[in-house]
This record gives sequence, structure tokens and C-alpha cells, in this order.
Amino acid sequence: MSTQLPARLPASCTACRAHLEQLGIDLATADYVVALAGNPNTGKSTVFNALTGLKQHVGNWPGKTVARAEGGFELEGTRYKLVDLPGTYSLLSASTDEEIARNFVLFGRPDCVVVVVDATAVERNLNLILQILQVTDRVVVCLNLMDEAARKGIAVDHRRLARELGVPVVPTAARTGEGLAALAQAVAGVARGETRTRPRRLPASPPVDRALDALVPLLERAAPGLPSVRWVATRLLDGDARVEEALEGGELSGEGAMRPSPEVVEDLLAEADSQRRALGGRFRDEIVEALYAEAGGIASRTVRREGEVGRRDLDALVDRVVTSRVLGLAIMLLGLAAVFWITIVGANYPSQAIATALFWIEDAAASAFEAIGFPDWLTGFLWHGVWRGLAWVVSVMLPPMAIFFPLFTLLENLGYLPRVAFNMDWLFRRVGAHGKQALTMSMGFGCNAAGVVACRVIDSPRERLIAILTNNFVPCNGRFPTLIMLATVFVAAEFSAGYASLAAATAVMGAVLLGILVTVLVSWALSRTVLAGEASSFTLELPPYRRPNVRQILYMSLIDRTLFVLRRAMIMAAPAGGLIWILNNVEVGGQSLAQQIASALEPLGAALGMDGVILLAYIVAIPANEIVVPTMLMTYTGAGMLVEIDSLDQLHDLLVVDNGWTLLTGICVMVFCVLHNPCSTTIWTMWRETLSRKWTAVGALMPLAIGIAATFAIAQIARLAGA
Amino acid sequence: MHLPSGPLTSLRNRRVRRARVVIEDALRHLHAAEERGRQATVESLAGALGVSTRQATELARSLHERGLATSEEGLRLTPAGERWARSVVRAHRLWERYLADEVRKPAADLHRLADREEHRLRPDEVERIAARLGYPERDPHGDPIPTTAGELRVLAAVPLTMLPEGSWGEIVHLEDEPEVVYARLAELGLEPGQAVILRESSGKRFAFEADGLPCELPAVDAANVFVAPALGPPPPARPTLADLEVGETASIRALRVTGLGRRRLLDLGFTPGAVVACELASPFGEPNAYRIRGTLIALRPEEARRIEIERAGEEHP
Repeated sequence: MSTQLPARLPASCTACRAHLEQLGIDLATADYVVALAGNPNTGKSTVFNALTGLKQHVGNWPGKTVARAEGGFELEGTRYKLVDLPGTYSLLSASTDEEIARNFVLFGRPDCVVVVVDATAVERNLNLILQILQVTDRVVVCLNLMDEAARKGIAVDHRRLARELGVPVVPTAARTGEGLAALAQAVAGVARGETRTRPRRLPASPPVDRALDALVPLLERAAPGLPSVRWVATRLLDGDARVEEALEGGELSGEGAMRPSPEVVEDLLAEADSQRRALGGRFRDEIVEALYAEAGGIASRTVRREGEVGRRDLDALVDRVVTSRVLGLAIMLLGLAAVFWITIVGANYPSQAIATALFWIEDAAASAFEAIGFPDWLTGFLWHGVWRGLAWVVSVMLPPMAIFFPLFTLLENLGYLPRVAFNMDWLFRRVGAHGKQALTMSMGFGCNAAGVVACRVIDSPRERLIAILTNNFVPCNGRFPTLIMLATVFVAAEFSAGYASLAAATAVMGAVLLGILVTVLVSWALSRTVLAGEASSFTLELPPYRRPNVRQILYMSLIDRTLFVLRRAMIMAAPAGGLIWILNNVEVGGQSLAQQIASALEPLGAALGMDGVILLAYIVAIPANEIVVPTMLMTYTGAGMLVEIDSLDQLHDLLVVDNGWTLLTGICVMVFCVLHNPCSTTIWTMWRETLSRKWTAVGALMPLAIGIAATFAIAQIARLAGA
Repeated sequence: MHLPSGPLTSLRNRRVRRARVVIEDALRHLHAAEERGRQATVESLAGALGVSTRQATELARSLHERGLATSEEGLRLTPAGERWARSVVRAHRLWERYLADEVRKPAADLHRLADREEHRLRPDEVERIAARLGYPERDPHGDPIPTTAGELRVLAAVPLTMLPEGSWGEIVHLEDEPEVVYARLAELGLEPGQAVILRESSGKRFAFEADGLPCELPAVDAANVFVAPALGPPPPARPTLADLEVGETASIRALRVTGLGRRRLLDLGFTPGAVVACELASPFGEPNAYRIRGTLIALRPEEARRIEIERAGEEHP
């Protein structure tokens, strides 16, 4: 090569900084930028958390980190910004994840790339390391999960590996923190340019080599100062659209370089096209095969297996059980039921305690306001409206979520959830969806907004959209209280005391199954009509079972999911509380607004087997489903503020005796509770995830239409049968 | 109603485009007939384009006036007409390949989508697509793609219905029209490149094996499957990953998949020569999970069927 690169590009390199800023990295607080790359399931996020102290979510299933997470650490007065890239198997850009990771390493030109490697599967991981070594010199290999490798009787000679790769290799066990100090030191050495690396280059076959030789001078003319000329030339040879685009846009040009002239780029691309034609179609495979051959060679010289130790046999046994026909499915259903049961039972007491405390504050504050002499409407609006709405949402939502999310995260961390996707894929394949939809659906039981976010793990756009649009069909934690209450008042009341709770539980489970059934049917309908398309290639990694770190799970699920969802819900619920108060306290013509709207909705409500007040409650509760029941009760009693009823008998009397509810009303409300429009948080999340108004509208209105159709049909059939 | 500015211009443009579409469709019909060794006529043209015989006669005259076709003894393309026709065919087949490999559109939709796009693609765009796809030689139905220079290899193929009972051949082409028939062929999993052995033909129904998978088709459908007849005894069925039972181990022989799907499999380590073991079956029998390079990866059967394997001890030439 004619131009020798400078030993290191300074971090202040203006062009690179500009690229990094384009990629959304805030550089104001860091001296060096470090990227964290690696295959999925290598404990990359654990390394990230351990280095930065910031707890980023870790899931023991592939493709968790879709968006980039950032954090920082300081060592000897120098600040390092750490960017967590999505887990990828390769940089050859087969998926969005790979493209994000690849673009960051290539265009962001970080000061150091840490490749996190699973010490139990070095050969597989070497594929990615070797590719990254072609792109950048500044690499540190973090040989993670050394503890697990030791348990499995796998010994990795990390010194030899470092010699083979030409870059520092640091053995770590991120879970226990072992080796992380050394890792930070190695990163500092490479980032600051104190450690000289001699990355292993890949030999190409003679024809490919000749083609590259023809391209390199043209490329150097088009993008002077490019650090990884040969690799970029390989990508051009491969016809990589993104790299071509970057070349044309000047993203690849070095410091101070101008955007290349179109003629230069055109010459280069034309040359690449003709070289590619000369090589024929096989050369892409040859490149990948050469990578694996190289990886196999290195692995055979550095990895020693000291006989299989029992651990993998245990994994295999557990796998056979949890995926077996009868037992596997039973474990899955029982597990789901157990999670519900623990959540519902466990949330009971704390919910009451929180409610008591928050309502006590309301009373105290309201009296204080009165004593000071604020007008009644202000006290009412602020405390009996806004505050009460908030208090309700917090007390109903927080405890179940604080139980559900850690349980879910525990299963995720263990590695059980990918097995659920494996078990359920058959069903989802039949309806044109992805097996991982089973997971996003389960997540929806906690919170539909969180479920919609979780759909990111599905990497094919079509299947992901199906999962997003159907997530709302499973009832979330905010809707369970309504279901449980109605099941208790209407279904359980039909049975003798001994069977009452069993009947109620069956009814709730029935509602859940209805939700799952509709999810499957709607997925099927979508994939046959508007979202038609072949099922994208399905590949799912089943990671080895890992011992979960309980402290980390609690921290992650509480901060990451519970508080996140709760904050959003509170933002939505506060104005709703105020609105409810206004509706019930502003009177026009001797009737409150709420009652007037309710009577206007009465005919529609009746057609759907419900009444106007119920529909009003559902409209008001769009911001937060938790307040459906209190709003309903408030309007029925005309109390002027959200009402809680202490005993079920009292509730039964209020609904049945005073307001004419029947078993049909109860059933229709339960069905409508499962099938209706998503809450505003979920709608907003859908928009954030799809960035499409059209699909957000579909996601919001389709469930509503289905709910209306279902309740209408039930009501009409029931009335016909009864008449 | 307020019309946008220059309604006449846009109307005229649209008419020009329409005219181009009609001419190109006519050229493709003539080309298709010649490719299959049939004679195109005004009547066949009318049928293919769904127009009246009078309109077709008009069209034939217009082709003649433009020097694109001659009308002695049926309609035939002139060299100029053939060049144009092949550029359209090239655009059509490349676009089908692109949709199948990179966008992963269902096989039954390819033809319809490409029919629209073939008239819109500019020559430089066609070249970029060809370059991106690595200059494929065949479209997803097995038809050869003409080169930029307009060269086209001729297929030596007969319909499956012409194959003698008990003999075998390789599928080289699946007729993509009519769409309903093609959809049925795609449903059976038939693809170019598969080895077909004709087991039984009753004149009405044809029973055969495609890569070892028993299939049966009525004569109408079977006539749309074109095979290159081969001599000698039929080859043993090439086993794929889908044939691997839980607990068995084999090595990968070849990948029968192109484009995005191939890149993804290669990235996961499914490379020729790699050792793979089937470790788990899901409760419903599919997907299966395979141990490859130390990691357990679940694949659906349609994916696994595309990975040819070699069991230990078996030797293939």
C-alpha cells in the first residue's frame, strides 16, 4: 500500500468527531470513545454495566440491545465514553443490528473497539473478531465468561490468542467483576495509542486479491486517509449499498478531505462492478468460508477442551424437558399461571397500603387547602381530581408491576424465554408471524407499552409490525383488576362459596385465553392481507442457561421497566384525573357533564350489551386503563370524585340492583376490557416504534373495532337467545 | 374542481407511458413465444394482452412500422425488436430475483410485481441491480436472465408431462403464468435445481419425487414444470438438515439458498464443511434446534430443507 496510515488518528480528529456527532454521540464529556461489540449472548451488556456502573438492561436472549446504550468511565483522570453496540454475528450487514454496529465501527471510527467474546465458543466468536480486525487496528478482545468456560472444562490460552490476533486479549468474568480492571487498562492503552497493535489480516484467495489490488488505488483516490482500505474495497466488491452511499457522501474521507468528485467515485464503482463480474458469484461464500477456516485454525491452537463436564449434559436434559411435548407445554402454561398468581396475590396488600397512604395525603392536603381558604373548585380539582387519579394509578399499577417485571426478567435472564419462543414458533409460523411474538405477547401482560417496545427483538419488519399491532390483545396489569373484579362479582357469584374463587380464576384465565386467541387470529388475518409476505428467515439462538444475578435483576426490572412505565402512566393519569373531576362537577342544566355524555352514549352502550356510563369510563380511561372502574363507580354514584367501594357485596348491589347490570353486562364488559383500543401510552409507544401514523392508527382503531364487533355480536345473540 | 397546472402535459406523458407499456408487453409476448419455440400470432397477442383482435392487429402494425417486428407467417421479432424485448426481459427477471432474494416477497407475487416494474426501471438502474445481486444467471423460476448485450441461453427443457416414467431430470423452469398454477407449484416447495424422478403418470395425474419429497400434480399443473432430462440412474436423494433426526450429526455439504437468507446462514456459521447436530425438536415437531459451532440455533423446516448435509460415512461424488 502506498499511503501508510498515521499510528493513531487523534481523538480530536475533527472529521471523526463530526461523524460521531452525526451518529448521535455526545462528545462534550469524553476524551475517548470506546465501542463495545460482540456476538449476542456473550455478556456484552454485563461488561458494559460493570464498566460504567450504569445499569443497562441485560436479557439472556439474542438481539436485546437494539438501540445503542451509552455510558462512561474514568481512569487516571481520562474520561472514556462507552457505546454498547447491538450484538451481531458478523459485520456483513444481513440485518439492521449488524448495520448499526458496522456503521459505528466504520464511520464513527471509535478510539477503541472492545470485542466481547464468549470463552465457551471462541471459534464462533472469532468470525466477528477477524472481521473487526479488518476494519480497525484499535481493538481489545474481552474474553468473557471465563468462569463458565472453566466449569465446562474449556481452557483458552489467552496469551497465545493475543499473539495470533495481534491485539490485547483480556480474560474476564464480568458477572463477578473479575478482570475488568485489566480490561479498562487495556482499553486505555489502545485508545491513547500507547499500545501498538498488529491486527491479523486475512489472506484472500489470489483472484480476490487481484481484484482488490485493482480497486485499492482508486479507493485511495476517492477517500484519502481511509484506515481500512482493503476491507472497504472488499465491501465494494460485494456491492454493499451502504458503503457505496457512504463513499459518495464523503463519510469515508479522512480529516480535512473534501467530498470526492462524482467522477472518481463513478470510476471506482464501475471498476468494482467489472471486477465482481470477473470473479463470479462464488466469491462471497469464499470470503465467509475463509473467515471460518481462519477462525477454526486459531481456535484449534488456543482452545483446549478438558473433556466434557456434566454441565452441558444438565443443560441438554433441562432443554429436553422444557421442550418436550406434554411436559414442556405444561411447564409453560403453569409458569404463566404461576406468574399471574404471584403477581395478583402478592400485589394485593401493598396496593391497599399505598392507596391508604396516598388517600390519607389527599385528605390531609384537602383540609389544609380548606383551612388556608383556597376556593373549593381548586381544592377539588387538584386534590380530588388530579391527585386522586395519580394515587389510583400508582396504587393499582406499581405493586403488580414491581412483582411481574422482576419475575419476567428472571425468566429472561435464566434463558427460559427463548425456549418459550422455540415452543410457540410452530403456532406463530402457521399464522405468518414470528416465534418471538410469544415473548412480546407475554411482556404485554405486564404492560402493553413495554410489550410494544419489546417487539424490537423481532428483526424482520413485517413480523415485527404484526407483533406490535396485536400486542394490545393481551390484557395488561392495568386491566387485570377490572377483570378480577368482574369475575368475582358476576361469575363467582353464580357458584357456591367453595368453588367461587376457582370460578373467578377460570373466568380471568378465559379472558386471557380470549386475548391470545384473538392475537393469533388477527396475526393470521394481517399476514394474509395487508401484511402479506413470506415468513422471513427464522433463526433463533437458544443460549445456554445462565445463573441469574438476583440483585441485578431487581435493579434492572425496577428501574428499567417498572419506573419507566409508571412514570409514563402518571404523566397520562394526572390530567385524566383532573378531567374526570371536571366532568363530574361541572353541571349544565342540573346534570353533570359526565351524566349528560353517558346518556348520549346510552343507545350505543345498550347495543353493545353495556351502558353509556361504561363507555364513558372507557373513553375517559384512554390515558390509563386502571381508572375504568373508579370512573364508572363515580358516575354511577354521582360522587363527584373517584370512588372506591369497600366490599364486593356493596359493589354487587350498586351495579346489579341500582344500575341494572346483568350477567350479560358483566361478560360484555370483560370482553371489551380485553378487546378495545390501547391506552394512550401504548399508542404513543406504537408511534415511536413504527414512526408511522398509518400503522399507529391501525394499531389503535383495529382492536376497538374488533371489541365493538365482538360485544355487539355477544349482546345480540344473547338477547335473541333470551327472547 | 381545480386541476393541477399543466393537466394536458401530464395527460400526454401518461399516454406516452401507457403506449410504452403496451409495446413492451407485446414485445415480451413475442419473445416468450420464440423462447418456447412457438409461433406468436395476432390472436395470441390479443389473448396475452387482454385486448380485442382489432386492437392487437393495430398493435402488430405499429410494431411493424417501428421496425420491431415482422408479420409474415405469424409475428416475429426483428433484431431491433429482440434487443428491446430482451432488455425488458432482463429487467423483469432481475427484479424478480431481487424481490425474492433481498425483499423476500412470496414467490407467487414476484411475477405481478415485476410486470409493473419492468417498464419503469432505467437501464442504469437495471445494471445496478444486477451488480448488487452479483450478476445472477437465472430468475427465481429458473429462467435465464439475458446479459446486457442481449445474449440469452436457450433452455433444453421439456414439460414434466413429457418425461418417460421412471426417468429423472432437473427442474430448470417453473412457468409463472397463470399465477394460480404457479402458486400451487410453489406451495409444493418446487424450485429450480431440484432433481425430479417421475414415478407414475396416468395421463391425468403425475406422481413424482422432487429431491426425495413425494409430490402429485394434475396434468395441467405438471405441464408448467420444465425439466432438463438426464440420463443414467436417478441420483440418490440429497439429504438436508430437515432429514436429520434428533441426536444425529452430519456435516454441511451446500446451501441451496441465495441472497439475504444465504448471508444470514453463513454468518451463523452454517458453512459448507461445518459439523452440525440436531439436538432438540419443539413440542409441535418444528422448528428444530441445531448445534453449530458451539451454539444452539433453531431453524424452521423450510430453512433446514435448504441446507444439504452429508452424514458421517456417506460419500457423495
